[in-house]
Amino acid sequence: MITKTQVVVIGSGPGGYTAAFRAADLGKQVTLIERYDALGGVCLNVGCIPSKALLHTAQVINEAQEAPHLGVTFNEPTIDIDGVRSNKENIVGKLTGGIKALAKARKVNVVTGYGKFISNNQIAIENSDEIIEFEQCIIAAGSRVTKIPAFPFDDPRVMDSTDALELTDVPKRLLIVGGGIIGLEMATVYEALGSEITVVELSEQLIASADKDIVNPLFRRIKKRYANIFLNTKVTSMEALEAGIKVGFEGKKSPEFDTFDKVLVSIGRTPNGKLIDAEKSGVEVDDWGFIHVDKQMKTNVENIYAIGDIIGQPMLAHKAVHEAKVAAEVICGHKSGFDALTIPSVAYTDPEVAWTGKTEKELKAEGADYEKGVFPWAASGRSLSIGRSEGVTKGLFDAKTGKILGMGICGTNAGELIAEATLAIEMGCDMSDIALTIHAHPTLSETTAFAVEMAEGTITDLLPPKKR
Amino acid sequence: MSDEICIMSVMKNIELPDIGDFDEVEVIEILVSVGDNIAAEDSIITLESDKASMEIPTPDAGIVASINVNIGDKIKQGDLLITLENSEADEKTTQTDTQKTDKPKQTTSEIVAVNVPDIGDFDEVEVIEILTAVGDEVSQEDSIITLESDKASMEIPTPVAGKIVDISVNLGDKLSLGDLILNIETTHGQSSSSTLDTTPASTPAAAPEKLAVVAAPVAKTAKPALDQSVSMQPKGDSHASPSIRKMAREIGVDLSRVTGTGQKGRILDSDLKAYVKQILTSGGGSSLPKTPVIDFSKFGDTETLALSRINKLSGKHLTACWLNIPHVTQFDEVNIDQMEAFRQEQKSKGVKLTPLVFIMKAVIQALKKHPRFNASLDESGENLIIKKYFNLGIAMDTPNGLVVPVIKNVEKKSLTELATELAETSAKARDGKLKPGDMQGAGFTISSLGGIGGTQFTPIVNAPEVAILGVSRSQTKPVWDGKNFIPTLTLPLALSYDHRVIDGAQGGRFMADLNSILSDIREILL
Repeated sequence: MITKTQVVVIGSGPGGYTAAFRAADLGKQVTLIERYDALGGVCLNVGCIPSKALLHTAQVINEAQEAPHLGVTFNEPTIDIDGVRSNKENIVGKLTGGIKALAKARKVNVVTGYGKFISNNQIAIENSDEIIEFEQCIIAAGSRVTKIPAFPFDDPRVMDSTDALELTDVPKRLLIVGGGIIGLEMATVYEALGSEITVVELSEQLIASADKDIVNPLFRRIKKRYANIFLNTKVTSMEALEAGIKVGFEGKKSPEFDTFDKVLVSIGRTPNGKLIDAEKSGVEVDDWGFIHVDKQMKTNVENIYAIGDIIGQPMLAHKAVHEAKVAAEVICGHKSGFDALTIPSVAYTDPEVAWTGKTEKELKAEGADYEKGVFPWAASGRSLSIGRSEGVTKGLFDAKTGKILGMGICGTNAGELIAEATLAIEMGCDMSDIALTIHAHPTLSETTAFAVEMAEGTITDLLPPKKR
Repeated sequence: MSDEICIMSVMKNIELPDIGDFDEVEVIEILVSVGDNIAAEDSIITLESDKASMEIPTPDAGIVASINVNIGDKIKQGDLLITLENSEADEKTTQTDTQKTDKPKQTTSEIVAVNVPDIGDFDEVEVIEILTAVGDEVSQEDSIITLESDKASMEIPTPVAGKIVDISVNLGDKLSLGDLILNIETTHGQSSSSTLDTTPASTPAAAPEKLAVVAAPVAKTAKPALDQSVSMQPKGDSHASPSIRKMAREIGVDLSRVTGTGQKGRILDSDLKAYVKQILTSGGGSSLPKTPVIDFSKFGDTETLALSRINKLSGKHLTACWLNIPHVTQFDEVNIDQMEAFRQEQKSKGVKLTPLVFIMKAVIQALKKHPRFNASLDESGENLIIKKYFNLGIAMDTPNGLVVPVIKNVEKKSLTELATELAETSAKARDGKLKPGDMQGAGFTISSLGGIGGTQFTPIVNAPEVAILGVSRSQTKPVWDGKNFIPTLTLPLALSYDHRVIDGAQGGRFMADLNSILSDIREILL
């Protein structure tokens, strides 16, 4: 059975459904192929959204725990794991259901099944006789968890992030392999629920792509709370024993072996470029599984576009969504292009870590002439009043023009605060644009202006490093 | 110490400063390793008291030679933290520390910054070629980069010999006088002779204090940071917000061509509109009917040859001149028997004079009498700017294409001086060594094909000038003197002019006067 469509989108994650909806709104007849019953892809089902639901639970637990400082003491919490899980599932269900309704309202034809190319204008749906014949295609097939073959993933005690979000139980001793954003977010959840956490990270720093000074407040906090954080340490073996998962380490401070009740492997994600028979359409896929596109999301094949995780790092939903709009608009004849100057990154840990634009280490590597302003939240009234003092806001500026180049924030709500700096970068703001914008007092957003004032030398809430 | 500096390494102890009312504070983190090159104010260790944790910065820059504390140590003010291997020129030379550490301690190398020299009246000239790489050994006067202005391209030579340490420019960068191009490590003796036309900033330093001046720009000019994922990058310091970038994309404007007038050079919506308007009103050539595109290989073998840079540049200019100026061309033939006799006489005395120098002198004479020919229209097209100086552009054929160097103050120079200057200039033109300044400031142009052939041609006025003289090959022709045909050496002249400025009658009078001067060269003296 051949179904003809103007535009087909493979994958219904944030990129895929956005592309499908935008193309439909611009008048195209659209088919959206999704292998799972629920729309929304990794982000909605097994990624951003469920993890944020669980992180909120963790936050409530942590805050209650710290309440005695405020003169309020709660009883030890009783954790109903099924309740925690069903809250998460409720939220996910609401969102994916919402997307389904939006698809229907836009008359997007949703096809459930695994789509693979059979030519440059046809996709076959596996295990069915359905063939989608398209004029234009947007590949939004995403990425999957990277798995190391030597690890016993067939044992349920060895988890990837999807498994961890299932929240089947709360292990007593949990090892997180990979100290990146996903690993540390899951560590935050499980720690609040009562697990004793060990993190092992190959590089010398947690969240390796962010600046170390921005990660440090987080590092200092969790170092006290977790059993161990092994940096510069390699996992050499993993063996499923009855008593637990026996893990071998190679590092200065780590033991040679230790046994854990559960292990979460979060070492990155692999693009799905090689799983859709792209070669039959003529679309080139590189060795890693990425598909390369131009600024208009065009692949090497005229009528085929690609967006999201499958076209490259960073693998972030908000990047995919912007790319999706570009692809859909270009297909509909608009002169769109992806020209965002920066894509912000956020780790929803406690405290949160967020950064945008250039990091200081990137600037150093480029030999750029930059200035920085660092504002410690210990001097923020708002931060102290919510019982937290460990945060830091760092602004990076062009030394010659004062233009903002990047910002990094660690602290409560850093993920929300980073939006201002991202807008500032897109608008080409310089130091005084930000410093002269009145920020409400007392707020955490003030720290952005204060970081600028530290660089400018106009700060009054602290001693300025230099006066101007 | 003369021209070189001694980079003497000095060991420096970094001790725990006064950190307030604490003693016995625990070291919880060591942030540096032996061998790290650290800058002043970099954090070296983290201390934690029962009240707070704090990072301790180093007051000095240098290379970490040893770490004298361990994690868990309780330390107090004055305790030795680390030792730094510190050089006299310390942080100013951090860019070159690789050399520094590689060398024995009393090394006499020197880093010389090479900046953009005075290249004439130009700003923001684009780098189109980088002719060296880091690590290359270069000799004095070797070309290091090629710059291209809208008028010409030029190779910039290095004033000193040595090894390229780093290159601070990228292809496409726009440079101005004094911008850092690269740093060269010279060895003793070579740099002292480098008194070439570098800017003061690149003059070799005599003492370490001065090295700071020299080396400081290293970091300063390193190109700033925003990795714009857009092909449409605004100019210089200007910047366009996402909505302006979107609009530019939609209407197909390359933002790098738009100058921002907003605060701090931002490109505003109105800048974009003004730019488009200006393109539309200036014609831009875009509304001209296109010549047909034909696949010539259908008719036989073909070969594609790229136009030279000069071809492309002069082509654009000539199109603009040809489209913007209503041309009239007037022809004449001049009896040059007398001039030729004088020329041959001089030649026998060993003084070689080409006909061109006589023509130049004669043209100056005519220009003095007809100042409208030594003029330009102003921007509004409503006023004529009369030039009180007499500079002539001389069109020259070079292997790379047509160039028009300018001979200045022709009225003040003798025939022999002009002959010498012409010979030098044409040698420079052939070698591609003309500087932009050599090609600016003409009031009138002469294009002589006399040495090549042809009876006549119609030259294109070199805007913003208003007239040009074309000279073809002289011929002996029979001239009727009323009784007989006399064999006469005649020189064909063609005068093209901008009819907006010059009437036919004025053109005729100019030509008649020029004819009269050339046929009786004594008039040059008048």
